[in-house]
Amino acid sequence: MECVVQGIIETLHVEALEILLVGLCGAPKQRVRVHELCLKSGPNLVSSEVRLLCDLAKTTPSWTIRHVGGAMRGAGADQLSVLVRPIAESKASSTALRFFYGIGYKLDHEVLKTGFAFQFQNRGANLTVSVTSTNRMPRLHATDDAVPITPGIHLVEITAPAAPENYTEVASAIASFCEYLSPLLHLSKPGISTGIVPTAAAAAASLMSSGGGIKIL
Amino acid sequence: MTVKWLMHFQPNQGTTLTSQVMAEACAVAESFPGVSRDGRWRSSMTFYRAVPRDQSLPAPSDLPRDLIGISLHDLPNEYLFVMRSQRLILRAHSSVQTVMDKLQSYKGRFFINFEGLQYKWGDFKLRIGKCLYNPNEALRGIVMEVEYLPLSSIDKSQRVMEEFYEIWREAVASKLLAGQFINTEVNFVEYGLGDSYTPQHTAVLYGMCVVQVIASSNKNQ
Repeated sequence: MECVVQGIIETLHVEALEILLVGLCGAPKQRVRVHELCLKSGPNLVSSEVRLLCDLAKTTPSWTIRHVGGAMRGAGADQLSVLVRPIAESKASSTALRFFYGIGYKLDHEVLKTGFAFQFQNRGANLTVSVTSTNRMPRLHATDDAVPITPGIHLVEITAPAAPENYTEVASAIASFCEYLSPLLHLSKPGISTGIVPTAAAAAASLMSSGGGIKIL
Repeated sequence: MTVKWLMHFQPNQGTTLTSQVMAEACAVAESFPGVSRDGRWRSSMTFYRAVPRDQSLPAPSDLPRDLIGISLHDLPNEYLFVMRSQRLILRAHSSVQTVMDKLQSYKGRFFINFEGLQYKWGDFKLRIGKCLYNPNEALRGIVMEVEYLPLSSIDKSQRVMEEFYEIWREAVASKLLAGQFINTEVNFVEYGLGDSYTPQHTAVLYGMCVVQVIASSNKNQ
């Protein structure tokens, strides 16, 4: 299970966001370069979807198989400002793509996500804040030639693992962290767009001029 | 990971495999000078079948019928899939079983456990076990896994493993067991595997061995 929120920020403000995150998180920045392949079962199989994530940021690429379940529903879930959903993941060998092709899955689409991320703890929850550009590939698997799908816009995502007994606390930890980012961007449940924040330009200018030096957490 | 060979017991024509063979094979191992019992072992195997979108129809022929999943006794946090027809192996964290459950496109149709006794004999570890259908525990075969601890190279260990195999065959024959142990021969190169032994090699061995065990079991019934 995981809790997740997303928002967008103009690319020209990403550097300012990074300065803010360095100060808030107190954790080292991690490079993100993930080739994400979305596979769907063929017409003969029970309908299902799986994602393969190939982490290209490391010297040796590593693979993860990931299944994302439907969002939690109900009055409790509606009251949360974060989305809660079941997640199943597994590290796997580099034969993962061939394996899923072999059992009847087809590539639906692929993207390359590039940017950076911070992993840290807030109120006991393990948060990951990632700031990425989503890129498409002009030819199959051509990650070196990827170009941004939305030039000028970066996606910001905060995720945290959760369990049935603690997801409300985790959601609260994410929500409280989002407050610190509110001058630059608004984060909400995926699928609910809040657009660009009007104060972003001024907040970014302030961050760039101050050069960071903020440590709140 | 150190090199392993995997053998299965081939009963003599006209004889039926019984649990007594397991006891006799263990007695052979225990007769080796300096051998010591080293606990128990258990690996398990799941045979998967595709779940067709239209379940009133049989599974389409273009979907694999030989997908097996293996949990090895010495790697409790991992799970391996083997598709012999495509010479394909996937090695993953054991949580991949949860992913497959969520996908629901393949379901476990029947299950086999390999379980028995483990012995230490000098640089060798011997694991003799029953091959049991789950859950009715019908005996389908007897297997023996032989591990040579000093080496990870398949080529370099070939000679010493062959020598062990001869010692074992002679010991089994001298105890008049009603059959013999047959080594599982695999061309690992076809599976993209190299000389350095890995869990993927073990998974392929089990995938091949179980086919022979089931065929032998069906023949003798």
